[in-house]
Amino acid sequence: MSAASDRLRAGPHELEVLRRGAGSGGAKLLLVHGINPVSPRAPFLDLLAEHGEIIAPSHPGFGNSPLPADFDTMYDLVHLYLGVLDAVPADKVTMLGFSFGGWIAAEVAVSGHRKLDRLVLVDPVGVKLGGREERDIAHLFNTSPDELNRRAWHDPARRPEGSYGVGWHTAIGEAMTDSEMVTLARNWDSLCLFAWRPHMYNPQLKHWLHRVTVPALVLWGASDRIVTPDYGRAYSRLIPGARFEMIEGAGHHPELEQPRAFVDQVASFLNEPDRRAQPA
Amino acid sequence: MELWNHCENPYPFVPNEVLEQAESVRASLPNKYCDPKIAARLYDEVFDEYRLCDDIGIHIVTNEHHSGINNLWAASPVITGIVARLTRNVRILSLGTLITVRPDPVRVAEEYATIDVLSRGRLDIGFVKSGATEMVSGDANPMRIREREWEAIDLIEKSLTSHDGPFSWEGKFFIHPHVNIWPRPYQQPRPEFWAATSDLPTCAELGRRSMVNTLLFGGYDRTRQAFDAYKKARVEAGLPAPGEDRFSYMAFAYVGDTDEEGLRIGQKIAWFLTVSIKSAPQFSKFQPGAVAPEMAPQAWRTGAARRPRPTNLDAEILVGQGQMFAGNPDTVAKQIKEFRRRVGGIEHIIMMTRQGLVTHAEAEKSFTLAAREVLPQLQDLPPLDADETAWLARRGAAAE
Repeated sequence: MSAASDRLRAGPHELEVLRRGAGSGGAKLLLVHGINPVSPRAPFLDLLAEHGEIIAPSHPGFGNSPLPADFDTMYDLVHLYLGVLDAVPADKVTMLGFSFGGWIAAEVAVSGHRKLDRLVLVDPVGVKLGGREERDIAHLFNTSPDELNRRAWHDPARRPEGSYGVGWHTAIGEAMTDSEMVTLARNWDSLCLFAWRPHMYNPQLKHWLHRVTVPALVLWGASDRIVTPDYGRAYSRLIPGARFEMIEGAGHHPELEQPRAFVDQVASFLNEPDRRAQPA
Repeated sequence: MELWNHCENPYPFVPNEVLEQAESVRASLPNKYCDPKIAARLYDEVFDEYRLCDDIGIHIVTNEHHSGINNLWAASPVITGIVARLTRNVRILSLGTLITVRPDPVRVAEEYATIDVLSRGRLDIGFVKSGATEMVSGDANPMRIREREWEAIDLIEKSLTSHDGPFSWEGKFFIHPHVNIWPRPYQQPRPEFWAATSDLPTCAELGRRSMVNTLLFGGYDRTRQAFDAYKKARVEAGLPAPGEDRFSYMAFAYVGDTDEEGLRIGQKIAWFLTVSIKSAPQFSKFQPGAVAPEMAPQAWRTGAARRPRPTNLDAEILVGQGQMFAGNPDTVAKQIKEFRRRVGGIEHIIMMTRQGLVTHAEAEKSFTLAAREVLPQLQDLPPLDADETAWLARRGAAAE
């Protein structure tokens, strides 16, 4: 878990933030984390920092970010992240949203922000696509930790140490420290506050993804069974012009299981020309 | 003192090999293992036990749990409504419907007002915070359930006590712009409120509100601590000391002809602990909100989400811990009187007797003996020695 020293202020809210690659002069990369904040030990961070400056806040209630009173809906998180975009000292920001954070990033992109330049969604949740008796998104709170662990990783035996993704409960008793457990418990409680019901989606979001106007890349771990690649393909088709790419040998967290392939995909996307029609 | 019969109407007929293989006997066990013909017989038997209790002066408690072998009372207000018409004399406590799961407390208030009228004012209303598998079965967010429970209680109370046309409620958890229940309750201003909890801040709030505080199987020390928190909160709020009628305790109980019979049949009740609470980790220790984050390392490493339940389930041990009252009528009366002394006074003893593998006939025998030979010994008890209870309180505080 990261030290509490570095903070980011967004309006009245102060968030813990992890920064990497400052002063590189490259793109500003705002990482919107999934069920747990980005670990400073995550191997993809240094690779990604070669392509831009990483700004990775912890959501309110996660890591060492305080949870304001009555702050418990996706509406709150969307407006908080619009405030984070305001606060980032740059004209153009690329948002990368992971899993639950992919949902936040998609909502922010629908809302729109003048600084939002590009969008990367990595195995995001957030939309309901299947029928009423089809579960699109594994229920993170009602499913056994062992089953979540099987579904979340291409190879659960090769989970990177110190980075906790879906199924993290199964790592208790290994090298996990007490302070890590306290933080994980806090993250888990906060995730539940925001996403218990409807579980990990906004029923209305799919109607509005057409309003995303920035170039978008949707990355998916080929072995993800928390949200499957089929769900990912259908999700990406709702975003105008979005490119969908699979990462082999990865589950729900390709940035953790295949950091090099993940960063290569992001770098290639950042270097692409913006193919949007220029305004007249 | 008063005796109450609490039966959860369990279903102990699922094959052991099925229960052993199941990750949880609540929330996810398929209902193909519940034979409705057996369930129908169980309902008949328990309602007959309630009729017996009505004749002999033992009050009745109903509750509800969902989707599991431990309880076939799917809706406490439904069952309580039936009991209201089956009985004529005793009080009926719904302990309770799961107000943190139900979306509209106004409907709950209306159901309870209806039962109060049906029973001509014999209803007591109990509240439970719930949690664990119930959050899953009812798809209720397990976070902030304490705050949700209090807002539900406040809205139910206002619904029961407002008589001048619609009022509006726009709370944090519940919204109802047009509240105006019919009928209004038979008892004025409203039926008695109870809550089941051993959480000390909650006990303190019950004290400030003068609600009846009941504990479930807490044993001597936890119960004493809870009641002391209740009393201390009243002192601090400048309220008068509570009577013993503000305190209640639920224990496993079996009254037999002999001590041997009491303990032998009492042992069957332990099924509640050994079998009926088996739950998967995602429904218990890993459920959000189950433990405060700072307590997570201890809970997760040891496997217990809350304070550990008793692990020694021998009936004599349970009796020794104050979690079971069992034996012949004189023995049980002595155990209850000793419990009253050690917790600093209590009016209501709730007996969980028809539990686990205890049969209909065995349950009726125990209730009959309890009413005929135990209850008279619990009447007109002398006041507790104030010096002695103060000493016990200090000893309990020192042991913490």
